[in-house]
Amino acid sequence: MFDFKIKVLVVDDFPTMRRIVKNLLKQLGFENIDEAEDGNMALNKLRGGSFGLVVSDWNMPNMEGIELLRNLRSDDALKEIPFLMVTAEAEKEKVIEAIKAGVDNYIVKPFTAEILKEKLEKIADKRPSLKAGG
Amino acid sequence: MADEMDEIINEFVTEAEETLERIDPLFIELETKGYDKDLLNEIFRGMHTLKGAAGFLGFQSIVDVAHRSESIMKKVRDREIQMTTPLMDVILKSVDALRLLISHIRLKDGVEEDVSALLKEQDTALENASSDQTQSLETTPDAVQSPEIRMESAEKPEPEPSAPVDPVVEQASPEKPQAPEHTAPKQKPHVQTITSAVDDAVQQTAKEKDVVANLRVDVSRIDKVMDLAGEIVLARNRLLNISSKLEITHGGDPLVENLGETTAFLDRVTSDLQLAVMKMRMQPIQKVFGKFPRMVRDMSRNLGKDIDLEIFGEDTEVDKSVIENIGDPLVHIIRNSIDHGLEFSDDRVAKGKPPKGRIVISAFQKGTLIVIEVIDDGKGIDLEVVKRKAINRGLITEEESQKMSEDALVNLIFLPGFSTKEVSTELSGRGVGMDVVKTNVAKLNGYVEVITKKDVGSTFRISLPLTLAILQAMMIKVGNEVYAVPQSMVEETIRIKKEEIKDITGQKVLTIRDRVLPMYDMATVLGVKNIVDDSKDYTYILVMVVGDRHFCISVDELIGQEEVVIKTINGIDSDECGILGATINGDGSVVLIIDLAVMARGLFATSSK
Repeated sequence: MFDFKIKVLVVDDFPTMRRIVKNLLKQLGFENIDEAEDGNMALNKLRGGSFGLVVSDWNMPNMEGIELLRNLRSDDALKEIPFLMVTAEAEKEKVIEAIKAGVDNYIVKPFTAEILKEKLEKIADKRPSLKAGG
Repeated sequence: MADEMDEIINEFVTEAEETLERIDPLFIELETKGYDKDLLNEIFRGMHTLKGAAGFLGFQSIVDVAHRSESIMKKVRDREIQMTTPLMDVILKSVDALRLLISHIRLKDGVEEDVSALLKEQDTALENASSDQTQSLETTPDAVQSPEIRMESAEKPEPEPSAPVDPVVEQASPEKPQAPEHTAPKQKPHVQTITSAVDDAVQQTAKEKDVVANLRVDVSRIDKVMDLAGEIVLARNRLLNISSKLEITHGGDPLVENLGETTAFLDRVTSDLQLAVMKMRMQPIQKVFGKFPRMVRDMSRNLGKDIDLEIFGEDTEVDKSVIENIGDPLVHIIRNSIDHGLEFSDDRVAKGKPPKGRIVISAFQKGTLIVIEVIDDGKGIDLEVVKRKAINRGLITEEESQKMSEDALVNLIFLPGFSTKEVSTELSGRGVGMDVVKTNVAKLNGYVEVITKKDVGSTFRISLPLTLAILQAMMIKVGNEVYAVPQSMVEETIRIKKEEIKDITGQKVLTIRDRVLPMYDMATVLGVKNIVDDSKDYTYILVMVVGDRHFCISVDELIGQEEVVIKTINGIDSDECGILGATINGDGSVVLIIDLAVMARGLFATSSK
């Protein structure tokens, strides 16, 4: 099971989407969820607090998800934070681009709590920080 | 959980509607600008976001429509296909469909629209656009000449032809003959491909310059500057007033002379400042006109009327508030002209007219006015029908109708609740009448006129002030009060001998250069007392022109011209009382600005022909 105490950051420019993702995370058991409207805001929040997981949309104004990811991976303090990318469709090139940038996994909209759980479990296999007691 | 779901859906509806509202005007902007990556990206993102959220909520129709729209926008953005009119039509249709789908969700009416036809249309449009593209690429062999550069431009769909072409660039690349913004949609993306390193560098500089030359500024900030400029105008006026008084009382004082020079300088700078701020808010009216071709085409198809549309003066710059508010009235007038004005081809031929109806939309500047005209060559407005309808609807009495001039009769169509067609068609009968046109135009301090002739056609002419905030005014005195009237409507001011005023069947008239004009007394019109000074055998006259109508107004005193800042007065209906607003005079007193258009309407509504 996951460590439900970790801080999760949901990044999406569309408020409804943030709410939906937050609800799904809550259904799984996560309690500590914060949100950001775009990559810029997310980066600021991530720099300011100890987050344990980022669930980010790709397509956003100001700073896109992929750029946020790159920024994260190039920052020594943040590069170990697990990153789940939300995309609208599984485009091969995009997935490759995200993997190159160091994404932990990606998830295609729309998804259920069950799929989200599966993806997070896959991430947790490699990143023990996500696991309970990890 | 159910409540939570409801809440999420409500939130989605609100945001989705906002998103559509935001991207809707972008299409028109896109039509104007041609290829614009930022615009395309924003539209793409809007569709994308909508699709994503709708997917979670299970609104499959929205997902389907948005997905295809997104694909089209993406391909256009990445220059894989070109934005063509049929493509734009489909996209616009899709936006309409999305709006409809969302409204069903909001109303919770359970209605499910069948979008399959639209989806097919979207697919077909995309297919056609793609094959056109292949063709156009094949027919331009020079595009494929340098594979290296092609790779680069495929990876980075930029650089777009920078819109305001720097003169240096034009010199450096004389082989580029067209003005980019007009031809952009037709350009084959790769034809633009840079042919040499020199051009590359030039383009790069142009692009950099472009970035520096354009700044997106929040409108509220410009408005703030506008407000402040207005305040400066008022302060300047007061200073001028004080200075000129001091010059009379302390003429020889060098300090007063100094003050005079300084205020004169301030005067000039203030005028320049005003103009500069005003220009910041000006945009070409193309923004509004841009959507008319599609609208006219749609109507033409729906009604089965063949129409030639001509648009002139789309470069005419107007204030932002005009752009925002003139669209609806114009749409209404055009719909009205097509629906009620233009005849069907058979009828036209029978009348000896060309089978195709004609609509001409034009905009131009005339002095300090912006004039927008919608002309049709249809059957004209039948005044007898108008009269009968107005009586039937209780808008006027039989008796009143006898006294009304032709102009007054035409103007009845602007009354709320008036519609000349018994059965309102889908197109023009949407519960709003021509009264909306008048109200909206009046909000912009403008006025509408109708010139109509049986079987020749009708012209709807909207005249608007160049700017809403500052008015060139003629200051006059009636009784003990000073008033301002818009200078744009004053043709000339003259002093006449009282004996020149003649009386023809109860109407005072004046003959000015062989023109007999009706004359009215401002004091009587305003309902105030004027100074009766029998020792003076002369009086001052303003020769006014409101639309096509000339008349004279006598006033007690002419004070002079002034630039005044219009301050709206809360709680009054300008249309009712004929007061446009107020301004602060050079001496600090409040001066009412008279709405001449309303006044003229009042004067002529009952006058007999």
